[in-house]
Amino acid sequence: MIAAFLLPLFWLMVVGYGITASGLIMPTPRLIRAVTAIGSVVGGAAGLTLACLVLWTDASLTLEAPALLTVAGGWLFHLDRLGALFLALISGVAIPVGIYATSYTASYEGRYSTRWMAFNFGVFLLSMSLVTAAANAITFLLCWELMAISSFFLVVTEHDREESVRAGVWYLAMTHAGLLALLSAFFLLGADGPTAAGWTFAAMRSAAPQLPSSTRNAIFLLALLGFGSKAGMVPFHVWLPRAHPAAPSHVSALMSAVMVKLGIYGLLRIGLDVLGGGPSWWGTLIIILGAASALTGVLYALVADDLKRLLAYSTVENVGLVLLGVGAGFLFLSLSQPEAAMLAMAAALLHVINHAAFKGTLFLSAGSIVHATGTRDMNLLGGLVKRAPWTVATFLVGAMSIAALPPLNGFVSEWLLFQSFLPGVASSRAAIAGLLTLGVGALALTGGLAAATFVKAFGISCLAIPRSNEAAQAHESPRSMRVGMVLMAASCPLLALATIPTLTTITGALATLAGLGGLSGTTPVFHLGVTLRTPNGMATMSPVAIALVLVAALVGTWIVVRVVARRTVRIGDTWGCGRIGQTPRMEYTSTAFAEPLRRVFDQLYRPNEDMAVGVVHPESPYYIQSVTYRTTIHPWFQRVLYDPLVDGVERVAVWTRRLQSGSVNAYLGYIVFVLVLLLVWVIGF
Amino acid sequence: MDGLFSQVAVLGSSGVLLCAIVALWRHGIGAYISAFKWQSNVLAALTAAVAYFGHDYDLYWVAALMIAVKGVAIPRLLTRLAHRVGQNRESEPLVNTATSLVISGLLILLAYTAARPLQTLSAAPTRAGIPLAIGLLFVSLFVIVSRKKAITQVIGFLMLENAIALLAVLATYGVPLVVELGVFLDALMGFLVMQIVLYDIHDTFNTLDVDVLNRLKH
Repeated sequence: MIAAFLLPLFWLMVVGYGITASGLIMPTPRLIRAVTAIGSVVGGAAGLTLACLVLWTDASLTLEAPALLTVAGGWLFHLDRLGALFLALISGVAIPVGIYATSYTASYEGRYSTRWMAFNFGVFLLSMSLVTAAANAITFLLCWELMAISSFFLVVTEHDREESVRAGVWYLAMTHAGLLALLSAFFLLGADGPTAAGWTFAAMRSAAPQLPSSTRNAIFLLALLGFGSKAGMVPFHVWLPRAHPAAPSHVSALMSAVMVKLGIYGLLRIGLDVLGGGPSWWGTLIIILGAASALTGVLYALVADDLKRLLAYSTVENVGLVLLGVGAGFLFLSLSQPEAAMLAMAAALLHVINHAAFKGTLFLSAGSIVHATGTRDMNLLGGLVKRAPWTVATFLVGAMSIAALPPLNGFVSEWLLFQSFLPGVASSRAAIAGLLTLGVGALALTGGLAAATFVKAFGISCLAIPRSNEAAQAHESPRSMRVGMVLMAASCPLLALATIPTLTTITGALATLAGLGGLSGTTPVFHLGVTLRTPNGMATMSPVAIALVLVAALVGTWIVVRVVARRTVRIGDTWGCGRIGQTPRMEYTSTAFAEPLRRVFDQLYRPNEDMAVGVVHPESPYYIQSVTYRTTIHPWFQRVLYDPLVDGVERVAVWTRRLQSGSVNAYLGYIVFVLVLLLVWVIGF
Repeated sequence: MDGLFSQVAVLGSSGVLLCAIVALWRHGIGAYISAFKWQSNVLAALTAAVAYFGHDYDLYWVAALMIAVKGVAIPRLLTRLAHRVGQNRESEPLVNTATSLVISGLLILLAYTAARPLQTLSAAPTRAGIPLAIGLLFVSLFVIVSRKKAITQVIGFLMLENAIALLAVLATYGVPLVVELGVFLDALMGFLVMQIVLYDIHDTFNTLDVDVLNRLKH
């Protein structure tokens, strides 16, 4: 019965995103904006319904077109629960982002091609959605590549700015290095399949247990490299802090909230579903890389002055947290503790969903701030709370969520991540116990620093006195942007309240996977109800109760202050300290706020500092006229890993350029030379 | 009958190839044009012979078209082009005449080696000509690579086109007439486009020497 709806919904989703893409041929800017919104909402709604039907019923969707690309097995889609979980995520984010894009893209009109933007936006949404349903290697890789290319074009929307183009080049290079790794992984996986049928995930799944362990290890490492580079895992994250700020904000929101998560999806699909887990060093490696990502991400987010760059680094951090959970899942699975594995994986996936909600909110609000002020530099912002209250409110919700403050959703998933690590600390194997203890440490440090980061992000950009004219003249965003932001922000508390149904859905999806298959239905993984109890019974928590207590506390305080104590509101300068005539120059800046922590982690950042003191008279150093302080941080992994690589590539490129002599005869000669060489080779062998 | 057919095929193919080699040792653009003209005519005669011996009457049409397009129309256009740009000598080619001939010899040798599997595969009486056709292919490529005037390169390209036609005639008694018509149209269009580009090159650089295209690099 329900199965009959799936296919029409799938096509409706395709048509919806197709409508968005049809912006390419729309005659007027108004129409382009209209199709962007309508298409995204239709496609997103259809995708969300489809995903929910697959998640909550026994139905599943299969669609094949073997005639297209017969050699590689044709197009094959099969939407199972794991895919549906990510499809729900994509579609859920697509709706508010599509609405938001309507007026956000208006600011690009006249300067850049909004047609091309709308087209790529539609293709990007569609290809991401299709990745989750792809069921053979060729379909997956094609959709994956389409996703990379369309998002590349979106990143370089502002193609006349050198920064954007550089970001685009980094993104393109990294994503294609990743694609190369994925291709190799798929070739290793499918190599034994005698026919095109061998390239389906189902065939790979049944063939995987017979693969020699060295091949399995190679596949896992390649998949980790390929998917990790898309997810923004350290040390392959270098493209992310460049590309996300460069892209238009609604695209940043999509990339950060959804696209990087497909890296996690791929890792689960190949590592857990197809390969069915592996030796314990797999999990260990993921945990170490996850911890490195979380710490690196949050440390660089802390010192970023560019608002969107801060958010991008924070995405690296959150992907690190997710990877910590995924790694713990792999580890527990290899130790035959499926319940603990399930808890860790579910925590990771819950964090995937929660991060999509709050990072989407944050990027949309940041976009609104950029829209209102024209700058992303936090040292030029401030005082927005009075000028753009909606934007600031949604930013606050997102920031509180990401800082893991209850009753919002970030708290729940981070709590669960802790709960999945804590039991392992008491493990009888010293190495495992040590590793997990370090994991808990990384989680705790990351959480603390993330809170500091978002205190800075919110406090510096939204509160106090404006630090520049642009900020002083900021205005609230148009209605459709506000609708998008509010929808996205509303999902944060809602997801927190709906933690238990969400977790049930996630565990249901995970239980269908090969590695965790024994758990479906029979074992109560979570003791669900109003309270959430971990499988080992060590911890209990109720998001709903926390929310109620907090709301009660808030209302209680209000009653005490307003009704009981009858205090009236007194309006004065913020942080006035009794001084009269404050100027923005007296304010904390973003750089100054991060300074203490930057000094603590000095060894990691190794900043270049430069201080110039201007004095009134050269003879007396005591009368200072001006102090100029400049600091830049060149990330060390950039210096150690990428600078030599880039130099090497450039040297090879310069050397290869000699081939490009500009002589027509030489070019033709190459063709003949290769032809003759190939013939000689054919004859010779 | 088959013996005679086979000999005619080899003779014709050799004639076609010879025309290309003649072009290699002459310098005047006029010589190139007439070499191409004669090559096309010989090829047309060979096609007609194949039509007669192979009882494939469509090929008569092909032969007639070949004379009309490649034997008359294109050489005439080429001559006009050469007059218009006013340069009728291939000033020193990249490879001198003696070396060019040696290289052609080597390329034809390679063609013989490369065509061996094709020859054993085919049962047609014309199979002995196949290596010559492939040899022509190489020689015309070599003409394109080693000559500096854009107009001689265009002639090299047209000879390459002839080589492909020759190969088709020898190996399979020609392709279907519709395809053949398409190919003619292609060759003609290709030539017309090249002609326009040549005029452009000439107008921009005041010469047809492709060496000057190096300047476009920076």
